[in-house]
Amino acid sequence: MITLLIVDDSPIARQILKKCLPKESAFSIIEAADGQEALEKYRQYRPEITFMDMTMPVMDGFQAIAEIKQIDPQAIIIAATADVQQKARQRIIELGALMQLAKPVSPKAVRNALAKAEQALREQL
Amino acid sequence: MIFSQISDMINMGLVVLDKDLKVHFWNRWMAQHSGIDSEKIVGQSLFDFFPNLNEPKFLRNCRSVFAFGNFAFFSQKLHRYLFPLRPTYCDKEPFDYMQQSCTMGPIRDEDKSVRFIFLSVSDVTEVVKYEEQLVEMNRKDALTGIFNRRFFTQKLQEEFIRGRRHNRPLSLIMIDVDHFKQVNDNHGHQVGDEALKALSARVLDRIRKTDILSRYGGEEFACLLPETNGSSALRLAEDLRRIVAEENWVCRGVSLQMTISIGIAEGHPEMADSEALLKKADDALYEAKAGRNRAILYD
Amino acid sequence: MADIQFSGVEKDILQELMNIGFGQAAADLAQVIDLSIELSVPDIQLFKACELRKHIGTEADSDQEFSLVEQYFLGKFKGIALLVFPATSGKKLVSLFGLQDQSNKPTQHLELLEKEVMMEVGNILIGACVGKITELLNDVVIYSPPRVMIQDVRNSALPRNLFDPSSMAISMKTVFHFEQQEISGQLLLIANQESITWLKSALNAFMEQYQ
Repeated sequence: MITLLIVDDSPIARQILKKCLPKESAFSIIEAADGQEALEKYRQYRPEITFMDMTMPVMDGFQAIAEIKQIDPQAIIIAATADVQQKARQRIIELGALMQLAKPVSPKAVRNALAKAEQALREQL
Repeated sequence: MIFSQISDMINMGLVVLDKDLKVHFWNRWMAQHSGIDSEKIVGQSLFDFFPNLNEPKFLRNCRSVFAFGNFAFFSQKLHRYLFPLRPTYCDKEPFDYMQQSCTMGPIRDEDKSVRFIFLSVSDVTEVVKYEEQLVEMNRKDALTGIFNRRFFTQKLQEEFIRGRRHNRPLSLIMIDVDHFKQVNDNHGHQVGDEALKALSARVLDRIRKTDILSRYGGEEFACLLPETNGSSALRLAEDLRRIVAEENWVCRGVSLQMTISIGIAEGHPEMADSEALLKKADDALYEAKAGRNRAILYD
Repeated sequence: MADIQFSGVEKDILQELMNIGFGQAAADLAQVIDLSIELSVPDIQLFKACELRKHIGTEADSDQEFSLVEQYFLGKFKGIALLVFPATSGKKLVSLFGLQDQSNKPTQHLELLEKEVMMEVGNILIGACVGKITELLNDVVIYSPPRVMIQDVRNSALPRNLFDPSSMAISMKTVFHFEQQEISGQLLLIANQESITWLKSALNAFMEQYQ
């Protein structure tokens, strides 16, 4: 079973993302409310795929992505954010995130993102 | 059917543009005022016909309406017009082009996405003309056609501040018609009114275009002389006094002799405000009135 | 009044939707005006409509002079949008937006140009934020022409038919920032009680998609 780490300060955003996961697959889901907590959970659970919000208190998504990449350069991170400006998008990719998912997320977009992430996972093997 | 008739009958221009800013719809009003038929322009880029619109602001607002479904407003105050169209009434128009107030807004599909934008064009030429007339009326004295006291006071303040800031000379002359009450008493108000009109016209002839002449009170006139020092103002005042005194005035068949008294003051940097300058000119006028037919510079 | 208070969950949905709406607005604005703009995470507050003027006053209160753009939006989401700039931003905005003098009255022209650019920027910024929020909540709004006021925030019209003093109002505030010219300001969206009632049902309808 694939382990997902969902990082977002908004419980609603986390709930929406969970509801958008494909019904036919089963995931083990870990949640975190900011970047700091995400790092702790990442170390503890080593999730295969991480969904990361960008605008968060304590530690934002940009820093969290950078630090997770320090822990595990292979980490597969999908940035889920409403800020889809070219500059932010570029920075997210430069930090090593796999892709960017625009909010509000939809089941279709989440499914596509997961397919891409699983593809990347297989390539790492 | 009803809506297509409305769009052809309505007294306003209606244009619909697609995402490439090609004309999708062009109502009859637009056709009649632009001389461009709908058949000719529909399907073509708007800019092929109106290159003046191909500029950043217009494009920015088109993008905004497509992206956000908001409205964009092109007021007459700054833009004057979007489409260079001839004014409807051609006789001696003060404007080369029809003055327009235009609005841009979204036209949505069933899924609420914006596929087209509309432009509505209202002819506000008459309104603007009327507005300008009102502004003019607000500045002018109804009898003599020279500026009124309100406008003069405003200009006096502006010029006083300007003169002080740039260290430029400024003078003020106050003119009062001697024994004017007798003209009214002896010949009636109509003759008196004529006399004031004739007198202000004569003064206006003698001064420069940049000087500001106003009717300050009943038979009192004030004239602002930018870029003029006290001695030059005194020379002008002397000239005016002589011209008026030497003229053989004929008003409504009545022959009159008139003289004027003039008070002159020059602005100084140490004066507190324009009121102080006015006060000095007034004091000089008071002194001049003591003898009549005199021009006195406040010193 | 209790019936229009938001539950904890509704507040979370509202905050998340505003984040998304303002985020999308910032992204699209970059395309529309060809400039990078930052919008802060919106701050949402509920208060009594009779305190509206005071609310606006405190938001715009400072020693420096400021300019205000005011615009009404009318849909199921209904209210007033206010954009507060420091008064010195006018000249910067004129150069940032590359406006040229089209009038032929030089004495009035700079003041007119500054007003014009504030109205245009205000109209687009307000349209972006209101447009994105209402789009997410499946509403369509229309707008009044914007008005510019200088140092006159407390004299904003605030019509009673939109804001009954005995009712509630909701404000969403964001700080915006144009990087290239160091221009910052505040955008306040203030919606009336009817909108709050509608917002509640629209928020729940939004969540139903994910049930």
